[in-house]
Amino acid sequence: MLKVDRLSVHAGPVELVREVSFGIAPGERVGLIGESGSGKSLTALSLMGLLPEGVTATGTARLEGRDLVGVPERRLKDLRGRRVSMVFQEPMTALNPLMRVGAQVTEVMTLHGVPAARARERAVELLGRVRLPQPAQVARAYPHQLSGGQRQRVMLAIALANEPDLLICDEPTTALDVTVQKQMLELIAEVAPALLFITHDLAVVASVCDRVLVMYGGRVVESGPLREVFARPRHRYTEGLLAASRLTPRGTRLATIAGSVPPAGHFPGGCVFRNRCPHATPACESEPALTGDGHAFACWHPHG
Amino acid sequence: MPSRAGTPTGDPLIEARDVTRVYRRPRTSLTRPGEAVHALKGVSLTVRRGERHGIVGESGSGKSTLLRLLCALDRPTGGSIRFDGQEITGLPERRLAFLRRDLQIVFQDPMSSLDPRMRVRDIVAEPLVALGRPVGGRVAELLEEVGLPASAADRYPHQFSGGQRQRIAIARALAPRPTVLVADEPVSALDVSVRGQILNLLADLVDEHGLTLVFVSHDLAVVRHVCETVAVMNGGEIVETGPVDDVWARPAHPYTRTLLQAVPTLEGLL
Repeated sequence: MLKVDRLSVHAGPVELVREVSFGIAPGERVGLIGESGSGKSLTALSLMGLLPEGVTATGTARLEGRDLVGVPERRLKDLRGRRVSMVFQEPMTALNPLMRVGAQVTEVMTLHGVPAARARERAVELLGRVRLPQPAQVARAYPHQLSGGQRQRVMLAIALANEPDLLICDEPTTALDVTVQKQMLELIAEVAPALLFITHDLAVVASVCDRVLVMYGGRVVESGPLREVFARPRHRYTEGLLAASRLTPRGTRLATIAGSVPPAGHFPGGCVFRNRCPHATPACESEPALTGDGHAFACWHPHG
Repeated sequence: MPSRAGTPTGDPLIEARDVTRVYRRPRTSLTRPGEAVHALKGVSLTVRRGERHGIVGESGSGKSTLLRLLCALDRPTGGSIRFDGQEITGLPERRLAFLRRDLQIVFQDPMSSLDPRMRVRDIVAEPLVALGRPVGGRVAELLEEVGLPASAADRYPHQFSGGQRQRIAIARALAPRPTVLVADEPVSALDVSVRGQILNLLADLVDEHGLTLVFVSHDLAVVRHVCETVAVMNGGEIVETGPVDDVWARPAHPYTRTLLQAVPTLEGLL
């Protein structure tokens, strides 16, 4: 359904995302995991045609045969919010503080040609569908009158309004308390038609997705079925990330990855992880290709 | 209270008794005062010398309010807080010098807790300057202790990654040789791959300097790795407290159980 092929993102001469390829089938929930600066959010924004000025995407991304990359804004406008929609991390900045939330849900439908009266009715239905209690009252509230979790549900109602083919969620629960996060994750898993879920939190992705892509330095370094990748990671970065996520008993040392994520444009050539990798050899100066059927990885000295 | 296995035995260093804090919302009517918000409803907490004490809670639980009171950054509405036997509530700032020296804080977001226009040298030396102490070679010593090169002193916070900035904040906190380190969500803003580095560093420093650690987090799993004692807060109250392993294995309060079930874990899913 979604087919991304060699998607790259550049800011001037600096390459921020390099030749990312993946697909999402209807009903499939795919996780895109990586730390800050890995390029995961830029990948999502380029699918939405929302890259900041001066940042350009190349390659192809097709949703149900329609191009998402390199097409004029006027064409994208028709797709965005209708065929593909997105829930952002910070609901307070993503919602309009001066508009009642019901009107904001309605707006995304009227923009795509739904008659106003029908859209207003449906907005209340949608607020109920994302399990906001008393949806008719919530529709009349302003964003500041709602809690963080409620605002994020409103964002989800807006994203689902036009029954998109693909839902993209970028760290949708990072700003929420854990008890609220749990409810939100269950809701997303339930309502998403097909999902691209972006997060830095391995435990969160494990509770939502069936398949993962691990990004580092603007590249997909490993991909495959979630259980397989988490149980038997092959790329040394995935291995390190999983080890670092495990909180061992008190008094023991936590596993770490040496150094820190370099700023954009300062990743080494060849394998992007080699300056932090304990297994790096001169072979890593040439770029490893992402290889493997199903479970793929780009590493010269894989684990296991 | 009977002493359970694993309960630290040092003498009480921080003792809060029945602490309350009421905030007033801004008034919305000319005739009535603003609504009262009971942020803390009678909280009692004892932190013993040398203990690693965790405070866990979600937003609105009162953990930040409690922390501000323990650090004398705010005054309680009622109750008493003693530090090393001395009452600190109601003391004027000029008589809090001992607390400003003995208790230091590391905040959550190193980007907003470090002045972007100050060089790292001045940031780390600031507590010493404020206390009128000589700086000498202390900055280089502190930077080395937190694993930063001496050359870091001449640079500005924005030139460092999140993890390195948190190291700078820790170096600053250690400058006046405190006995208590208060860490408010010190790893929440960090990437997983550097979280372990900072937690390992904190553990090393607490051991080496025999520090007492008050560690605030929303994440009970992180607290379990770091602390031996935990207080779980909800709705302005401590709903459960005790050795962290007991609380983890046998949560007594329904809220603690909810919290534990909500934390996504890799172990549970694979």
